[in-house]
Amino acid sequence: MDLRFTEEQLAFQKDVRAWIEQNLDRPFTAYVKDPAYDADALVEVRREWQRKLNDAGYLGMQWASEWGGRGATEVEEAILHAELVHADTPQVPNFLGISLLGPALIHHGNEEQRKRFIPKMLSGEEIWCQGFSEPSAGSDLAGLRTRAEPDGDDFRIHGQKVWTTFGPWSDWIFVLARTDMEDRYGGITFFLMPIDQPGVDMRGLKQITGESEFGEVFFDGALAKREHIVGQLGEGWRIAMTVLGYERGAATLRSPAEYELQLQGLVSGLGDRGDLEREDVREKLGRLVVENEVMRGNGLRTLANMAGGIAPGPESSIEKIFWSEYHQHMTDTAVELLGPQGQLAARAPNARPDVDWAYQYLWSRAGTIYSGSSEVQRNIIAKRVLRMPTAR
Amino acid sequence: MQFELNEDQALLRSSTRELLEKEAPLAEMRAVMEESAEGYSKAFFQQLGELGYPGLLLDEAQGGLGPIAYAVVLAEMGRVAFPGPFLDLAVAARTLAACDGEDAKSWADRTAGGESLVVLARAEDLGSADPAAPAATCSGGKVNGTKVFVPFGAHADALLVETVEGLALVERPGAGWNAQPLTTIDHAQRFASITLDDPGTLVADSAKSSALLADATRLGALGAAAEMFGLMERALEIAVGYTSERQAFGAPLGSFQALQHRAADMLLKAESTRSAAFRAAWAEECDPAEAPYLVSVAKAWAGPAGRFVCGQAIQLLGGVGFTWEYDPHIYLKRIKTLETFHGSTRWHTENALRLSPVLDT
Repeated sequence: MDLRFTEEQLAFQKDVRAWIEQNLDRPFTAYVKDPAYDADALVEVRREWQRKLNDAGYLGMQWASEWGGRGATEVEEAILHAELVHADTPQVPNFLGISLLGPALIHHGNEEQRKRFIPKMLSGEEIWCQGFSEPSAGSDLAGLRTRAEPDGDDFRIHGQKVWTTFGPWSDWIFVLARTDMEDRYGGITFFLMPIDQPGVDMRGLKQITGESEFGEVFFDGALAKREHIVGQLGEGWRIAMTVLGYERGAATLRSPAEYELQLQGLVSGLGDRGDLEREDVREKLGRLVVENEVMRGNGLRTLANMAGGIAPGPESSIEKIFWSEYHQHMTDTAVELLGPQGQLAARAPNARPDVDWAYQYLWSRAGTIYSGSSEVQRNIIAKRVLRMPTAR
Repeated sequence: MQFELNEDQALLRSSTRELLEKEAPLAEMRAVMEESAEGYSKAFFQQLGELGYPGLLLDEAQGGLGPIAYAVVLAEMGRVAFPGPFLDLAVAARTLAACDGEDAKSWADRTAGGESLVVLARAEDLGSADPAAPAATCSGGKVNGTKVFVPFGAHADALLVETVEGLALVERPGAGWNAQPLTTIDHAQRFASITLDDPGTLVADSAKSSALLADATRLGALGAAAEMFGLMERALEIAVGYTSERQAFGAPLGSFQALQHRAADMLLKAESTRSAAFRAAWAEECDPAEAPYLVSVAKAWAGPAGRFVCGQAIQLLGGVGFTWEYDPHIYLKRIKTLETFHGSTRWHTENALRLSPVLDT
């Protein structure tokens, strides 16, 4: 066993910290709390931050240098992401493009597609959103009904996608659509489409947090070019499933780093109220600390295995369940301990300055639903890890 | 970075598993737990002693193999719900070896070699076995006081007693200990309350004793966390095995989603315990500054996680899970005791909070 970072990795961590120190004007929460920044302005803050990260070579780090990366390891990428969230830096607007589409193009796309799309994806000139889920195909993604009808060499798309994160600010969308209505898995194709075209209607969709960070998109004969199919016709399902497994290393240490920052905010809030010595408070706070550290242990284990060439298998479902359910438990407890102040809107005059608790409390409800709900993850564990019998 | 065990540690794991499956399978050990006077197999402990197991925590020069090896062995013992004072012996041997005087050293050797049974006697409060200032005294060559929950105390050859003055070594009086059995739910442990009014020697003054006892608490907690992982891992195997076979409503029970999701939660808790316990063991060996925090994290996590996993193992077996004959109750009972001792969940939660990076800033 060895859970230490190497000297090189520690040096990299130091570089990242110094770089953040030099480049981050103020924590992202401070922008959120600043009335001068509306939703669009906040997106620009995030876009500007993406530009800086890209110039510094911190995006797509594991990719080859010809695609803007530096051939970095999972460990370095994990370190980077932990540092970025722990410093409350803005999330890059193109996170879905970079974490999902980038690897899809590198592993399954062709040379022209990589040249055409990757540089602008990294620079933030073109923002991408993901067109997977549909009103009747969420957890059961393969039940999707959006169809692609041949039109000469190209295709016309008909259907609807929903819960499209960052859709309202996106320029392009990667879409799973049916080129065969009968073949459940083999009838799905992976298309890249510009959003600004006839036959695409992107609308904001208001979330329980009150913002419209995701959207819904209606396709009515929108054009999808053959040259913009990733992989072959009918390979969409396989590609979509494999890209979900790429670059998992980046995420292994992110959640505990992010939640540790929030726990520090909770400690400061409780300290201000003079509640930090209360035994009942300490017991709850201690429990949150313990669980967050256990989560970090799981992440270090996955990362260490990846560094040793052991690919993360279905047990990564454990991590998904852990962080998403932990965040609900943690924000529930925080909002309870902070009393009514913990429910104040971000820009209310006396809201806590360091964490937007009301938002975090509500946002935590999304984690157990998106990217494979907790129920789907438990199915995966039961079937693929525990090998429990299948229902007839 | 590497989480998996190295070659020597993996070999230790497989040879320990083989040894326990052959010499101490639960089916046989249940008879020992339920029918023998001592509650454990003295013969097998002698064999363990000859193989050097109780000396695992000693320095390398004295035959120790280090905290990771210790965690590996205890996880294996957890899998078979192994009865006896193994963890207590390993911690006592290490503590004795660091005490003053030739007597202590020779008791350390005999304890590590499996010839003598020496355990720590610390708790005095029936309501809490957490570290606390003792009332027992050692003065004028005599040790006075009452210690409770002394593991296998009635059969001990000597006790290492926490007193106001420090750690005192008390050998079993000719007439035997003034001991009352404290029978708990745990089949694998035999506790005693012992009233001392016996000759004893101070082997660590109070300053040294505090340091040694802090180590003992930490190493005990580490061992308990690792053992609880083994208990959980095996309890889950039992539950998954049973529900995969048992037919109900025309299908294997384990094909029903309600049970599958419960089993998935059990795996999450058990595997997270593995991560936490072995990370703590690694810190104990390679990053000592972090060890107190990470051991408390692991121990505070393992107790509630273990109660969930082993309690649900009973639930998944249904009616037979509540019978004496089936094994899951042995696992739940072991977990409950391990959670209570070596620092309770509450004690380690507070300790983790106090040492956490969240309070550092």
